[in-house]
Amino acid sequence: MSRSATTRVNEDSDAAARVAKLAAGYMPLPGIPDEFIGADGRPRAHWLRFLDKLMEFPADDMSRRFARADRHIRDTGVSYRAYGDTSERAWPLSHVPLLIEAGEWREIAQGIEQRARLLELVLADIYGEGRLIAAGDLPAAAVTGSPEFLHPLHGVKPPGGKFLHIYAADIGRGPDGRWWVLGDRSQAPSGAGYALANRLVLARAFPALYRDMNVERLAPFFEAFRFGLTSMAQRSNPRICLLTPGPFNETYFEQAYLARYLGLLLVEGGDLTMRDGKVHVRTIAGLKRADVIWRRIDSDFADPLELNAKSRLGVPGLVDALREGGVVIANALGSGVLEAPAMMSFMPKLCRTLLGEDLRLPNIATWWCGQGKARDSVIASMDELAIAGAFGNAVPGFASSQPLIGATLSEEEKSRLAAAMAERGIDYAGQEVVNLSTTPVLHEGRLEPRPFVLRVYAAHTPAGWKIMPGGFCRISGRADARAVSMGEGVQSADVWVLADKPVEMVSLLPTDETVRIRRIMGTLPSRAADNLFWLGRYLDRSEATLRLIRCLASRMIESGAGAANPGSAVSKLASLLVAWHAAPLTAVANPMALVASVLHGDEDYGSALSLVRDAQRAASFIRERLSTDTWRLIGDLNRTLAIEMHGPLAEAEAFERADAALRTIAAISGLAQENMIRGAGWRIFDAGRRIERGINTCRFARHFASGDAPADDLDVLLDLVDSQITYRSRYLMGVALNPVRDMVVLDPFNPRSVAFQVERLDEHLETLPLLSDDGMLEPPRRLILQLAAEVATASAPCLDNKTILVFEQCLLGLADAIAARYFLQGSHVARADKSSGLA
Amino acid sequence: MIYDIRHLTLYEYGSTVTFSHCAVRLQPTDGPGQQVLSSELSVTPAPAQTIERICFFGNRLTFLTIETAHRKLIVKVNTSIEIDRPAPIDEKETPAFEAVREEAFASASLDKDSPAHFLHPSRLVPRFEPATAYTRESFLAGRPVLQGATELMRRIKADFKYDTKATVVSTPISEAFGKRHGVCQDFAHIMIAGLRGIGLPAAYISGYLRTIPPPGKKRLEGADAMHAWVSVWCGEAHGWVGLDPTNAMMMGNDHIVLAKGRDYADISPVAGIILGSREQDVDVEVDVVPRA
Repeated sequence: MSRSATTRVNEDSDAAARVAKLAAGYMPLPGIPDEFIGADGRPRAHWLRFLDKLMEFPADDMSRRFARADRHIRDTGVSYRAYGDTSERAWPLSHVPLLIEAGEWREIAQGIEQRARLLELVLADIYGEGRLIAAGDLPAAAVTGSPEFLHPLHGVKPPGGKFLHIYAADIGRGPDGRWWVLGDRSQAPSGAGYALANRLVLARAFPALYRDMNVERLAPFFEAFRFGLTSMAQRSNPRICLLTPGPFNETYFEQAYLARYLGLLLVEGGDLTMRDGKVHVRTIAGLKRADVIWRRIDSDFADPLELNAKSRLGVPGLVDALREGGVVIANALGSGVLEAPAMMSFMPKLCRTLLGEDLRLPNIATWWCGQGKARDSVIASMDELAIAGAFGNAVPGFASSQPLIGATLSEEEKSRLAAAMAERGIDYAGQEVVNLSTTPVLHEGRLEPRPFVLRVYAAHTPAGWKIMPGGFCRISGRADARAVSMGEGVQSADVWVLADKPVEMVSLLPTDETVRIRRIMGTLPSRAADNLFWLGRYLDRSEATLRLIRCLASRMIESGAGAANPGSAVSKLASLLVAWHAAPLTAVANPMALVASVLHGDEDYGSALSLVRDAQRAASFIRERLSTDTWRLIGDLNRTLAIEMHGPLAEAEAFERADAALRTIAAISGLAQENMIRGAGWRIFDAGRRIERGINTCRFARHFASGDAPADDLDVLLDLVDSQITYRSRYLMGVALNPVRDMVVLDPFNPRSVAFQVERLDEHLETLPLLSDDGMLEPPRRLILQLAAEVATASAPCLDNKTILVFEQCLLGLADAIAARYFLQGSHVARADKSSGLA
Repeated sequence: MIYDIRHLTLYEYGSTVTFSHCAVRLQPTDGPGQQVLSSELSVTPAPAQTIERICFFGNRLTFLTIETAHRKLIVKVNTSIEIDRPAPIDEKETPAFEAVREEAFASASLDKDSPAHFLHPSRLVPRFEPATAYTRESFLAGRPVLQGATELMRRIKADFKYDTKATVVSTPISEAFGKRHGVCQDFAHIMIAGLRGIGLPAAYISGYLRTIPPPGKKRLEGADAMHAWVSVWCGEAHGWVGLDPTNAMMMGNDHIVLAKGRDYADISPVAGIILGSREQDVDVEVDVVPRA
């Protein structure tokens, strides 16, 4: 036996020992099917194969890989909000994927495909001819009870001809081990993006394992979905939008992520407007038609004019645009009517009526109590059933938000329920009691069974329904859970559908013939432009504030601590910070307390921390437009400054913190400079920075280079604009007023001068799109041309504070003109909260 | 009886509005016992686009797109209508409410008048057990549906105080019910909540009521307002019957139906999002003049 073979055997037996240790004591719950242990009580072969391969990684390597996966999730910002959360939570990903073999998957996929076909037909009938209702196959009151049955949509044929474009079903294993459907998601199913994110994380952590297990790829499904949406449009090269409720929605991360992945335009209701029966996006280049809208808002909120008048998320007139056939909405408004538990009771029969087939995947047996016979039998066998609300999770008359388990009810509760059902049986549905089946999770070094729900997705394409090979798996934090929604203790798992043979690498890259080459993405919605502009302004304002701090701290180090002399540079720096609302007026007396408050305080809107948070909020509205690195750096910046203060801050410490924050801002600038595509978005972002820097530099100059400024002040100014070295190499004598003014305000070669900012602004405004082709200048361009001429023709000896103030006010006016021209478009706009008082 | 109705709505905004979509439901339609002789809608500033439609529930609906900058929006409607309602049905003839309930649950129609649309909670009429409990007192087992509903109507009139200052459009029924006061809209919503609570289909009717002047006095111009009442479904054979809880009377020749819906939110007279305005002020004038 060769040496290497010996080692191999040892490793094998080591791996086998570790598999045994991992699985030791693994006990499925009595009577509940489990993924790892089959009905025969033995581990399923594909799970053993997976565990064997996993255990080939040495223990420390494996834990390093898991740690890296967890870090990757945190760094890329995969997150969600539990309902009512003020901040996003990091995504909990189980280290063990859910494994499903090819043969079993085929049955699931066929079942989901059949159900998608069925639901499409049921929807078309409900909103169309109503044959099922007239024939008594579907009682009218079982339809009208759903808040998602939308009267104004009755009789409206969906443009494109289809109601459902993406459909999902929650499935699990029933007591007999067969898969069954627990619920339908026909409105706007979430989770597909999380499934994709989970896949990228896990496949990256274990690339070889992923390949060796022949895991089916997810990319072709998303490509098919996108193609399906595209094929609905009336124009070639249609504009497809993802309509989001906004960053405060639970799954906003996913929406931004999918918009980016699929190349869709992420819009909020305020970005869209209905004109002449068509829907348009408000962009910086005027109104641009939206051909297809994939909505992630609930139907009822889609049009305040005809649906929920209180909605601020929708588009007034959208329903009318649908009647005119001017826009395709996926899924059709009102599709959510099928999600009502009551609907489940009719599916087996509707499937036979409409398709002439039996359901391939059964759903939970359900009896709607609006019909006398069903009601009587549900009341009679209440002990064996669960009682659900017919049209939602809540059970009318009971506080529970989940179905009631008959067997656990008291006699008093049972008779109350029976009385309620006799009066309004239409509100209730009896259901088979569901125990979720289990799958292994890794808990403290061992596998343990945990209940799970698997959501499977189907996308409509011109070639029929395409099923995502995989899905979104949610695993309960508790061993006995009956329902799983993303909340405390719940984790998600990647879902691996294992092919019989190696899976071909399918690329998302389309072929040459189908793609028209283009260089710049055309559409920048006005709201996104607004937030990019303010992101730029907040970043530059933080930078200016941090520079003041750094300068102040370095002067304090030189001069020794203590109260500043009136009129000294230190006291001028302090008073400027107070004037900028970076610290309270009372802090002036004690410079170091002031520095601490400017750096880490969040009570004054001009503090560095407040400004960085404003920048982060502006960024959160346009996350799909920022690189992961940029988002991370903004997060770093916040963490650098969000420090609880205990006791006084030493001068050197303050200097280092300001310096560290400035380095992070420099990295963000570098990324923007080197990585951002030079489209309208970059120009607007950069214009925000340039305007802010121009304004602040004017203010620095007025403060530290007025007619009687002492040399010390001029020295501070050179520090603030980072021009000490250039000055010393250009002028051999000491600092003097005119050369400093020229360098700070007028020198177009100094990237921190006012003149330099003005030149860049002119370039940006020249390049941004025009609203009309009549050859006339738009107001922002007219303003910048005037300013540029004045700056270019000014000379340092004639430059006084009054002139600099004129420049400054001109820049402020330009900011307003840019907002009026590019962001507002004559209507309300969802804007980042601008409480900072920045001009 | 022929009525001439003048309905004027005036909006004043805090700032200039440059673009707006709105939907207007201010013109009645023909129906059992009423025939529209003429109806004209005029809007200032003139809309760039006007689309007329009959909504799901059969009401006349006009979509307006206004592209003229304005601070004041005036919607004026002049309608002439003839009312001649059939004699009221005998409430004792109507079926037991339990039978009506089962009939409604089993409805096989999604037509506009199907009871199925009016059985379930709606935006402004949520499930409200106190109103249901209040209603049950009038519906002892086997009682004819209309007899129970009429008694309920009379009790609301007797127990609730009519007070135009007590509530606004957005006041929830729980508050009006708890304080036993409100206006026609509150009483209608409360009665609907109670009827639906025991499984009976009930609809919200908006319209006008002729104000009968006291003898020898002239009718006050502009004193009238829009009115609201309830329609209850009494089974397929008898259909929908109007009951006015504010006045404890059956819908008759003094009632002019403007629109029918599940509640006020389905048929609010002017719906729209006013873009770009901070505040707005509404002024409504209604005259219902019987022709001599």
